[in-house]
Amino acid sequence: MPGRQLLEGKSSRVTDGEQHRDGTVDILLQQILNGLSIASVITLIAVGVTLIFGLTGIINFAHGEFLMVGSIVTWLAVSNGMSFPVALVLGVLAVAIMGLVLERAIFRFTLERPTNGFIVSLGLIVVLQHVVILFWNANQKSIPRPLTTVWEIAGVRIASVRVMVILMTIAVVVMTYVMITRSRYGRALRASVEDRDTAALMGIPVRRYITGVFVLGSALAGLGGGLLIALFPITPFTGGTMVMKGFAVALIGGLGNLTGAVAAGLILGIVEGFSAGYGFSEWTDAYSFGLMILVLLFRPHGLFGGTSGPKMA
Amino acid sequence: MITSFSSLRSLVPVLIVLALLALVPLMGPSNRFLSLAISAGINIIALYGLSVLFGQTGILSMGHAALVGVGAYTAALLARDFDIGFWFSIPVAGIMAAVVAAVIGIPSLRVSGHHFVIMTFAFGQLLTIVLTNGGEYTGAASGLDMSKPVTLLGSDIGDLQNFYLLVIAFVTISAVASWAIINSSYGRTLRAIRENEKLAAAIGINVGRHKIGAFVVSGVFAGVSGVLLAYFLRHISPGQFASFPSIYLALMVMIGGARLLLGPLAGGILVSFLPEVLNLDPVQSRILYGVCLIAVILFLPNGLIAGLADGWSKLMGASRRRAVTASAVSEAGQ
Repeated sequence: MPGRQLLEGKSSRVTDGEQHRDGTVDILLQQILNGLSIASVITLIAVGVTLIFGLTGIINFAHGEFLMVGSIVTWLAVSNGMSFPVALVLGVLAVAIMGLVLERAIFRFTLERPTNGFIVSLGLIVVLQHVVILFWNANQKSIPRPLTTVWEIAGVRIASVRVMVILMTIAVVVMTYVMITRSRYGRALRASVEDRDTAALMGIPVRRYITGVFVLGSALAGLGGGLLIALFPITPFTGGTMVMKGFAVALIGGLGNLTGAVAAGLILGIVEGFSAGYGFSEWTDAYSFGLMILVLLFRPHGLFGGTSGPKMA
Repeated sequence: MITSFSSLRSLVPVLIVLALLALVPLMGPSNRFLSLAISAGINIIALYGLSVLFGQTGILSMGHAALVGVGAYTAALLARDFDIGFWFSIPVAGIMAAVVAAVIGIPSLRVSGHHFVIMTFAFGQLLTIVLTNGGEYTGAASGLDMSKPVTLLGSDIGDLQNFYLLVIAFVTISAVASWAIINSSYGRTLRAIRENEKLAAAIGINVGRHKIGAFVVSGVFAGVSGVLLAYFLRHISPGQFASFPSIYLALMVMIGGARLLLGPLAGGILVSFLPEVLNLDPVQSRILYGVCLIAVILFLPNGLIAGLADGWSKLMGASRRRAVTASAVSEAGQ
């Protein structure tokens, strides 16, 4: 279902007037831009997934539903007459608060057994999806494009909304990266990932960092959701495909490795763009999984090396 | 741990329940009840496979519905292209699902546990994409029809009552097979891996190979259940084997409890009949499932039946049983 949804999203893109150009190179460049804009959203998920996994060992499959909730909140806000930037902020805040509540109420009880955290996240997928369906039905939801300008540079048509998505993702990912590698909070966080017990002995409030990472990851998913609905219509089932790709990207880059996730997101965006450019768009969803299987076969810890989760005593 | 060592005592209640269930057609149940019971039974067959994998070996597959799908499509393609009927489809589909399980298991089970979960989930998605893009051969998004009847000794046994009994028979076989695995030395090996992988490897158990083996075994159960599903529904489509049905199977096995032989049976029946009993629409019942799953994990990590058994023995207050409970609790705490 979610796969089909994304395909519908793609076909609606053709009618936007972005692709009515001759010459395969132009189309290819446009497709790569399209691929990169979707890959941005996926990278936002992958960063959240990889951070949460690195610190807690919990595979949070409900992360895609967090994204979907972000889209729904943005959609609700825009349909109630708010402007897109306000709606986007509301979406990010709503999902961050949801992440905080869920971590405090549920996930913190599964820290000792990450497998249970994973199973709980499966339950959350079902609950979140169907609560959204219960209140706002299962139909496709869309908002008018927040930016309608299309630039034309040397025959290549560039939709400004895609550029906005890519730039925002770059900004947020760079901020996260700087925070993690440069600030003392980031150092404490990395220490906690390296060895939870020793970090706690050094006076780092590890539990609070876990909550913090959950909130950060959720906020990134909320942002991804708000940006996604600016690109495509979404449904309550969109989260499923997106989280799988997010996990594929996180795994390809090496679980727990932030730089790896970003690099893998870039690779996936280009591969998907090329494939759509050469007319294999119905297989687009399969590449991330195919790539992931290949990487796991030959480099089980990802292309750029990852952690295998927190060390359990 | 309660069941693992008392061999026959765990099988008898399951056989009694199944014998009682086999008597249900005598009470003239409605067709709706029978259909629900048949789909519950088909799920339970797959659940017995999942319980060997999750309950004994401690690894969870999130793509189990996809393996059921491999079985179902194998049956449908065999019937369409080779005119092969139900009984011969069973072993072929079982082998096909086992081979597919091996293909997924070999790359993902040699690395640590969480990769496997993600790989199986991804496999479910991938299979749906492949089946949807398969064109004429797999019937694309609309799927395939099953035109062959189920025959036994030359006569059609496709009506609901007979099919119900057929499913009960298969559930019984899979329960007995699962019991035999649990109580064999192979089952002990798998439990050793579940309890302490490093220790198991240190005493000479080939952990990777046995994990793949357990996944292959669970695949056989899934393949057989897929054949029954194809012959019961008479129409299969890719959407039936995507990620939600896999979550649904994991939910059933978690709610029932994967380690007890009664667990899959209880989980399958509860999850299938609860919405009917409470008169919920599909959306509400799915929310209820999700909440149940979270509640079971947080409060009864060994499943409902084991939780009830624990509560019972606490109530009885017998000191010997208290020791058993304590060990179960400490096990849950690990």
